[in-house]
Amino acid sequence: MKITLHNISFAYDHEAIIKDLSCSFVPGNFYSIIGPNGSGKTTLLDLISGFLAPCKGHVDIDQRRIPAWSKTEIARKIALVSQDYAINFPFFVKEVVMMGRHPYIPRFSPPSKKDIKKANKIMMQCGIQHLQNRKINELSGGEKQRCVFARALCQDTPILLLDEAFSSMDIHHTLQMLHLIKQAVKNKNKLVINVFHDLNLASSWSDVLLILKQGRIKAFGRSGDVLTQPIIKEVFNVDSIIEYNEHVQAKQVYYPPV
Amino acid sequence: MSAPVNYGSNLSMPVAILKGRTGYLVVLFSLFLLFMILVSLSMGYVQIPISDILSILTEKFFGDSQTAKAANEIFFTIIFDVRLPRILTCTLVGAALSISGALFQGILLNPLADPYTLGLSAGAAFGASIAILLNLGAAFVSVPAFAFTGACLTLFLVIFLSYSSKNPLIGFSSNNLILSGIIVGAILSAGISFLKFIANEQVSVIIFWLMGSFASKTWPDVLIVASFLLAGILISLFFARDLNLISLGAKSATSLGVNLKKVTLILLVTGSMLAAICVSVSGIIGFVGLLVPHMVRLITGPDNRKLIPLSMLTGAFLLLFADTVTRAVLPHEIPIGVLTALTGGPVFCWIFKKSRFK
Repeated sequence: MKITLHNISFAYDHEAIIKDLSCSFVPGNFYSIIGPNGSGKTTLLDLISGFLAPCKGHVDIDQRRIPAWSKTEIARKIALVSQDYAINFPFFVKEVVMMGRHPYIPRFSPPSKKDIKKANKIMMQCGIQHLQNRKINELSGGEKQRCVFARALCQDTPILLLDEAFSSMDIHHTLQMLHLIKQAVKNKNKLVINVFHDLNLASSWSDVLLILKQGRIKAFGRSGDVLTQPIIKEVFNVDSIIEYNEHVQAKQVYYPPV
Repeated sequence: MSAPVNYGSNLSMPVAILKGRTGYLVVLFSLFLLFMILVSLSMGYVQIPISDILSILTEKFFGDSQTAKAANEIFFTIIFDVRLPRILTCTLVGAALSISGALFQGILLNPLADPYTLGLSAGAAFGASIAILLNLGAAFVSVPAFAFTGACLTLFLVIFLSYSSKNPLIGFSSNNLILSGIIVGAILSAGISFLKFIANEQVSVIIFWLMGSFASKTWPDVLIVASFLLAGILISLFFARDLNLISLGAKSATSLGVNLKKVTLILLVTGSMLAAICVSVSGIIGFVGLLVPHMVRLITGPDNRKLIPLSMLTGAFLLLFADTVTRAVLPHEIPIGVLTALTGGPVFCWIFKKSRFK
């Protein structure tokens, strides 16, 4: 299940947000997209998920352009954890997680035994099984985010897109979720594309970093290769010290006080 | 590589939805509604014992209509020519307004939405006012037809104002729809005020129409609302699950396979048509569409597959109850729209306070 972007551009009105961008994402890899605010990270995920259509160029899943796939077919291939995890109506947590099975359950059928088993297993893995009979709008931000994360896992897709999916989680749960998806990448050959703000977690957990600046790819490769002081200075306009850290076995970024 | 899906199970659709607790509630609420219809039939200026009603009904539908009529001609005429059309119209309108309210609350992601949020009532009232002003009221169908046209034009205007082909997040977003509805509604309200101003002696006809009534409804009214309601039920039950997913937000719903633009548009038109036909037939009846889905949500939770059928039955029951009170209990008939607002308003305050700040 490979994703290829062919010279895609996107603009809401006049100013282009994504500019003539090409790259491919292959299974068995954990990609992280990093870049400053407004650099087009979320828009890029929206183009990959098919939520937005590029103005120029095209996005292919397995050599087939996105508009050629039906909505349900895409829903069985790509799951998305969106930045916005607010849910307006008081659904039970277990109902929200079960919504991840929607692409597999025929319209008027109740969930099958297999669906229920799957949802239970994932709630267990995400550590939310004790919340399953709580209402989603009564939970804290981090708890809500874990439920939305569990819903995406329940969708059981070969591709998982995460848009700042850990922004409200504490470090314990962030690591727990990262561990879960890292395992899925390694053992089940899944493809994960993750938008991250924490450069150090991005460096230590991802296989490949994609650094985005003003809608263009600034660097694309292993964190050991692309994470350098000049690039950080150019992209984020901050001074940094970057060195290999023995404990996490990856490059880490430090910001000296001014 | 799409997995095999058992579409055969679609045939058992209502059965699957109604399994379990919701099924029992649907049966229970339907029995309440039937009982209410019988009670309402018996009440009025002429009291008809329920046993007589039952025998006349069984004779009419399972026996010979002429025998039924011959047995008690006065009761027969009261039931079939006067009370039953009014009662059924009222029941169907209550059901349609409640479904419409549930749909609007789901699409607009806003529990405060109701069938009139998009300004449909103002559009219908404007159309009706024009018909009354131009003295077209004499021709039996014209006021409802103008009201319906007014509501449809309003809907198109609101959809046009809130649509953007470029950005799916902005096009049809609940904020856009609500804002467009408020703007269009405000303009139309001013238009209605102007029409009242120039209407002279006909102003009372306009005001009376606006307050809503089920008085002197006929069998054609029943049939037309019933056909809209039937289509409305089928469409909204078909998309009820998509409506659940829409509450996760536009992006999440899309990533779960919901065709957001299509579903929003279809349900918007469905909810609006239900509201438009109700307003055309019976005037503006407020609070049913807002209140009923709220009450039912306390029982079923927010799942639209349970909420929509139960709201329908509850709305039908409550509006029939209100109409029976104003028709048969009160010394003078109060316009039904006034009665629902006067009683529904305080109930809504109570539910609001209870569910928001518990």
